Amino acid sequence: MRNIYKLAKLTCLILFVCGFVFVAQSQHVVGNGKISGEFGFNGMYYIPDSLIGAEPVDSKVRANTYLSLMYNNGGFTVGAQYEFYSFPLIDFEKIDYKGQGLTRFYFDYKHKIIQVTAGTFYEQFGNGFTLRSYEERQLGVDNSLLGARIKLTPYQGITIKGVWGIQRENFDFDYKYRQDFVRGIDGEFAFGDIFPVISEKGFTATVGGSFVSKYEKSDYDIYVDLFPGTDRQTEGIILSEKIPANVACWSTRLNFGYEGFRFEAEFAQKVNDPNATNQFIYKKGNALFLSATYSMKGLGVSASFIRSDNMDFRSQRLALAKTPVLAINYIPAINRQYTYQLISNYSYASQPNGQIGAQLQVNYQIPKKTKLGGKYGTDITFNFSRFHDIDRVSVPLADSLGTMSGTEGYKSGFFKFGKKLLYQDVGIEFSHRFDKRWKLILAYNYITYNMDVLQGHGGMLQGHLVSSDLTCKINTKHALRLELQHLYTKEDVGSWLYAMLEYSISPRWFISVGDQWNYGNSVKGQRIHYYNVSAAFVWHTTRIALNFGKTREGILCVGGVCRSVPASYGMGLSVTTSF
Amino acid sequence: MKKIALVIALILSVSLIYAQEGQEKAKQYPKLPAVDIKTLNGSTFNTGDIKNDGKPVIISLWATWCKPCIAELLAIADVYDDWVEETGVKLYAISIDDSKTAARVAPFVNGKGWDYEVLQDPNWDFKRAMNVPDVPYLCILNGNGEIVWQHTSYAPGSEEEVYQELLKLIKK
Repeated sequence: MRNIYKLAKLTCLILFVCGFVFVAQSQHVVGNGKISGEFGFNGMYYIPDSLIGAEPVDSKVRANTYLSLMYNNGGFTVGAQYEFYSFPLIDFEKIDYKGQGLTRFYFDYKHKIIQVTAGTFYEQFGNGFTLRSYEERQLGVDNSLLGARIKLTPYQGITIKGVWGIQRENFDFDYKYRQDFVRGIDGEFAFGDIFPVISEKGFTATVGGSFVSKYEKSDYDIYVDLFPGTDRQTEGIILSEKIPANVACWSTRLNFGYEGFRFEAEFAQKVNDPNATNQFIYKKGNALFLSATYSMKGLGVSASFIRSDNMDFRSQRLALAKTPVLAINYIPAINRQYTYQLISNYSYASQPNGQIGAQLQVNYQIPKKTKLGGKYGTDITFNFSRFHDIDRVSVPLADSLGTMSGTEGYKSGFFKFGKKLLYQDVGIEFSHRFDKRWKLILAYNYITYNMDVLQGHGGMLQGHLVSSDLTCKINTKHALRLELQHLYTKEDVGSWLYAMLEYSISPRWFISVGDQWNYGNSVKGQRIHYYNVSAAFVWHTTRIALNFGKTREGILCVGGVCRSVPASYGMGLSVTTSF
Repeated sequence: MKKIALVIALILSVSLIYAQEGQEKAKQYPKLPAVDIKTLNGSTFNTGDIKNDGKPVIISLWATWCKPCIAELLAIADVYDDWVEETGVKLYAISIDDSKTAARVAPFVNGKGWDYEVLQDPNWDFKRAMNVPDVPYLCILNGNGEIVWQHTSYAPGSEEEVYQELLKLIKK
């Protein structure tokens, strides 16, 4: 009964919003200012399916809904966002992204050299090694800060930012009980803008630095498991006076370019920060990112390196969630990101507390109107990436105590690769257009994926993947797209086949049918078809999509940040619009 | 419940303002938000400075990991020279790649041989200011820098609609 009441409320809300959107589509301008916004509804009706592991859920109809509005007039902007996630999709419920409330409200004023924001804001310093508050709706990540920000541009090419705020923790709005906050400062100097003579000669150079500090009251002792992973249940204690209330993290960065060449580097350090993700060790953390790219017309080469050691930095030391809840900084996973279904099921997730690795990518275009390139040219992308755990040697104290907790933890050779391989990907991709009608993308990848670390169980997976994407443009409006993929592996649940056919009538309609088939499962009864049928309608900035089918249990990754997805079966409806 | 009522009331009142305004004014188009983003060289660029001497501008929000975005930009690349010749249009391709893949945007663009103006919005400040939920997203600005047409998603052939909209602008 309560659910029906809540749903009725939800329906009302949606109707109002639709009406609002209808009006708003035709008129955007109020006085001299402008109102704009965004609305999203993502709902699903769940059907239990014991075969795939889709358990019965307490309320079968669930939805994620949000509305954000913004009013802008000259340099002045106010905005708010309401999120209704009281009965969220089950994957959001699993990660505690559940509740409702005004999750964003802000006031922003910009005038010449100064910009001031009060309320909820998102900010990134450099690559995000010291601070990045961002949102990723698909994942249920929103670590915005509530507080104030000031940004100064005293001279062209010089930017100084200062922030203070309390970080959002899902739908927990009891800010008066919060005992933690974040403050930071960042400066950046773009020499090419400050001294035009530099850019006139074709050079660009930017340097920057940031300092971020977290405060969290430390008035409680922490009890730790002295022998984690064993049967011995002995608790140790870290006294409150030994726990740092302030944790600082700083970084310097450099960006240099000349014509097609570009070099980028950032190095960050963090002081002792005993927390739940690092087993309460007192070691300092650090991260290094290097990237060199060269490009000219038809050729692009990029090589990057990353090493991060004990860099999980959160607003609360007891936060342990797998998703970046309360994460202050962001350590990127720099491997190539794929959209092919089967390869993305085994996608690398960044390991802020220990990873060292590199990525190399070459894009080359065989020129148009040559024998090999054909009339339209052929694009070739080669890619290699490999990530290891960092080298770790336990400090003697940790050895004798039987635990890392409360000690320096381990020592690590800076450029030494640890023995444990986390992920490797070697791939090549061809993209070729034959004529006005046919286009083909063909890719091969060989991946090695450490399931123990990245999924929590299962050992090492080695897989060969072949992916193809064939588009046939029937005429200017109608097109067919066929995706075929094959993953060959002996590990985990074995090999998979994937096929998807999409029919589109541009620019409005998309209809697709797809199937992911676990044909190589060693258990015959588990050779399941995960089929999906979907239809979508697009009108300007409004998209309405309906789908029906099964989703396999697995990992969803967006931007190197991953979360687990439970198996599900049912019918879904999603509506997004901006106005 | 109180909060929901509040939101609904807010929406209603805003809709009413809209309805009234609609009667009083001829069709007005919103200006592009002015937000600080980055150039490929890492220097700051304000989106308020996007202009093309009174000629139309196309803005495309994309990412190196977004297949339909790339399909759209590739499709436009094939006809871009003709569009420029006929309408004088300029395309700004604003990448929303974050620090994970941002360094690979420049080589990617050059590898494809695109003639677009490429900018970077690594922490989605522009994407948020534009209220764009997902990429690909494309909009057309008229000669005064006002957003006259918007579209999300990409289906092969939908670049034709973009072209028709550009022709309409030129005729005006």
